[in-house]
Amino acid sequence: MALTGQLEIFNFVDIFQIIRKDKKDGILVVENDEKKFAVYFKEGNIVYIREVKKVFYIYLDIEFEAVLKKEGVKKEELYRLLVGKLPVLLAVKKGKFSFTPGFIKYSEDIDVYVPLEKIIMFLSRQLTQEEVERKISDEKLVYEKAENWEETAEKAFLTEKEKKILDAIDGKKTVEQIKDETGIDDIYLRRALYGFLAVGLIKRAKKKKKLGFNLTRGLLKKIIGVIKGL
Amino acid sequence: MEEKGKKQKQIKIVVSGPYAAGKTQFINTVSEIQTVQTEAKTTKRGEKEKKDHTTVAMDFGKIQIDDEHVLYLFGTPGQSRFDFMWDILGKGMVGLVVLVDSTDPSTFHEARKIINFFESRYPSPFVVGCNKQDLEGAWGPEDIRIALDLDEDVKVIPLVSLDKESVKNVLLELLEEIAKHI
Repeated sequence: MALTGQLEIFNFVDIFQIIRKDKKDGILVVENDEKKFAVYFKEGNIVYIREVKKVFYIYLDIEFEAVLKKEGVKKEELYRLLVGKLPVLLAVKKGKFSFTPGFIKYSEDIDVYVPLEKIIMFLSRQLTQEEVERKISDEKLVYEKAENWEETAEKAFLTEKEKKILDAIDGKKTVEQIKDETGIDDIYLRRALYGFLAVGLIKRAKKKKKLGFNLTRGLLKKIIGVIKGL
Repeated sequence: MEEKGKKQKQIKIVVSGPYAAGKTQFINTVSEIQTVQTEAKTTKRGEKEKKDHTTVAMDFGKIQIDDEHVLYLFGTPGQSRFDFMWDILGKGMVGLVVLVDSTDPSTFHEARKIINFFESRYPSPFVVGCNKQDLEGAWGPEDIRIALDLDEDVKVIPLVSLDKESVKNVLLELLEEIAKHI
């Protein structure tokens, strides 16, 4: 399944969150009137960014080695090129994107130099108020740490303030309480939480479901019967 | 509410979702009475292009269960400037249906905000209905699950709110969820 959409609606943090979750190989195509990029993912991490004139060029090669040969790039240059191209890609705010899982084949010696978690946190620190409110929309929200959060935190290269926020997350405190406890300003806190969610450091804490009416199994069965008979 | 001389007990399900997700239609499709609507003419740019009238307080429809019980479906206003109504309607509900317009991904973030609101304040069982599945360009339920960042255990159900069987299916899925908490 190709994942497609508009950058005006889904920012790079959202897109990378989805790609990271499945740890897939694949190609993310980002295009607008001015530029067209192919972003190569290996196991959910970016290994190479290529600018092309036409999108169909991207799909001419299924071997990553062939892509590098065509571009005249040596494997030992991948890190330098990636670091140079990332800011250019991330500056694109308008246009469409499409992620096609699979398709490209990597040899085992293609290494991941920049963990996607680090890139996601970097981007989260620049989100606008409108963007953070898409997910961290409420001061009453409660988060808990995800499994393997320590391992993820290492890859995310958190700032001292972000570490403080992460320490305060315990599955009980609301966003409001964390803000009061840490004394960290609202937008910084929300950006951090948005990033934590995207890299899989935290998840929404499950609250015990409450019913606002004393329903019995017998009454519920009756309601189901009435609905079925409508 | 008095009927046949007996005081009837009200069971409340809330139908929420972003602007123009199809909440009023959803309720209309299964309500036994003509839905009571509180609509006003749409005036805001961006909203006028989608529909002429919009819910400003709530809609409600009714389904009689037996002599003692009546099920009310309350539809919330879609725009967040009326979110004070979400608070009023959330109190006492047994379950929540969140509708999304599957053809309009620009509204998905608003749906996430609505889910955040109700989950943090009135954590009742809920399902997501992916409306307008009959229209071209509709996102599939699994793509909507990803876009809304929903957990695997949340039911994300295809829906055409003009179709009675489709609306019934969403309600039955919600009731199944409710059954897990009795």
